[in-house]
Amino acid sequence: MASEREREAPGLRVRGLAVALGGRTVLRDLSFDAPKGAVTVVVAPSGTGKSTLLRCCNRLLQPDAGTILLDGADVDGVEACALRRRVGLVGQVPVMLPGSVRDNLAYGLTERDDASDAALTRALAAAGLDAAFLDRPADELSGGERARVTLARALTRGPELLLLDEPTAALDAAAAAHVGETLRGLAADGLGVLAATHDLGFAAAVADRAIALRDGRAVTGTPEEILGAGEGERGAADAKHGAADAKPGAGEAR
Amino acid sequence: MSQAVAQVVAGAAFALGAALLAWRYELGLARPLVTAAVRAAVQLAAVGAVVALVFRVPALAVAFVAVMVVTAALTAGGRLRGLPGARRAAALAIAVPALSATAILLAVGAFDVTPRAAIPTAGILIGGAMAATTLTGRRLLEALARGGDELEARLALGDAARTALAPFTRQAITTGLVPAIDQTRSVGLVTLPGTFVGLLLGGASPAAAARIQLTVLLALLAVELLSAIVVAELITRACIRPGERIVVPPAAVAASR
Repeated sequence: MASEREREAPGLRVRGLAVALGGRTVLRDLSFDAPKGAVTVVVAPSGTGKSTLLRCCNRLLQPDAGTILLDGADVDGVEACALRRRVGLVGQVPVMLPGSVRDNLAYGLTERDDASDAALTRALAAAGLDAAFLDRPADELSGGERARVTLARALTRGPELLLLDEPTAALDAAAAAHVGETLRGLAADGLGVLAATHDLGFAAAVADRAIALRDGRAVTGTPEEILGAGEGERGAADAKHGAADAKPGAGEAR
Repeated sequence: MSQAVAQVVAGAAFALGAALLAWRYELGLARPLVTAAVRAAVQLAAVGAVVALVFRVPALAVAFVAVMVVTAALTAGGRLRGLPGARRAAALAIAVPALSATAILLAVGAFDVTPRAAIPTAGILIGGAMAATTLTGRRLLEALARGGDELEARLALGDAARTALAPFTRQAITTGLVPAIDQTRSVGLVTLPGTFVGLLLGGASPAAAARIQLTVLLALLAVELLSAIVVAELITRACIRPGERIVVPPAAVAASR
């Protein structure tokens, strides 16, 4: 049972979420928390509803049932555009908008946002790119650079919560490690981070809390339990594989 | 030989000559050429008879224009399959600009309020409106079907649904207007448009023919732009859902694959 104090903790609270797309049930009765100041990782193979879940959190998708609370307030009651600035989504496909990296970072910023070069450079640095990138044409960037620009672009809006869909998909190991550090740093600064990934190594490196999606429901636990279970399954599969390979191996040993 | 007989004989001889040439070179075009020629003869004879009737009974002109609008709406609507209410959208995007412009031209006295002037004017404007509607609408539906990730990225950055769609509609409207702009720019240099040729053959002075052709061309620019804007707006509305969400017509997605 969650204590009263925990129930009022700021951040994202998903309760009884259910989504069917094209007649197929993707999420059913999904409940979990992603508090501010922590990195929460959703681990699941592709095609199991991770993107669907993230898109419900910023209201790109209307769930069939359930509620999503941000700091205790139902997101359905928050004006959608304002909500999406507070809850930044970094999609799996790094889409570059026309123009330079600066144009991308400043896209859609209002007078209340800080669009100064200093602020844009800070966001770039947080995503692991230096200030020289500001004037680069966005469509000339590599896949990994685009992925980092999309992260920086979400940060320029000053989000309270960051949703990331497979943040390491376009990155090599070193870049993934850097993004992991960035996410941990953002969480330490009080941001809520909810990352969906099938990369167990990345999940183990960044997660304060972990959730596995099984049949559209959440299996919650400590990162060790969730990721350990994942490792266990993988280990079991490897063991089976090993057993199948054992015969020729044994033959050679003789 | 009277001129009328000479025209029919010359036309038939050209068609027959083309069919013989196609047969001689084994192009497999002889039959299609003859069929097309016969079809054209029947259709034009029918239209001629109907127009002759309309000239005698001016009230029928309204019905004639209505048939043109319906035909154009069905044609353009068929090209916009995937859009819910495609025919209704096409009818609106074609009829409102084309009929308004026709009414204005007649009201200000640019053309006589007679079936002889009103029907060809309405026909040209309806045809232009149909082309702009089809081109803009198709272009927009295809771009939206391909642009799902970009639309979602724009929404996720805090764009309102209409703002996220705006670059797509602007691009489609621009594309939809290209033929009208090119036709206006190149008039007289590349081709002599039908109105001009018809008026000259009918015995009008070159000055009068040029003046009337110009009036029609300039009206077409406004009509085609308005048609493109209306169809883009109707498609935009069909995509926007409450909560600043965008749902691209699923059939448009399927059609672009």
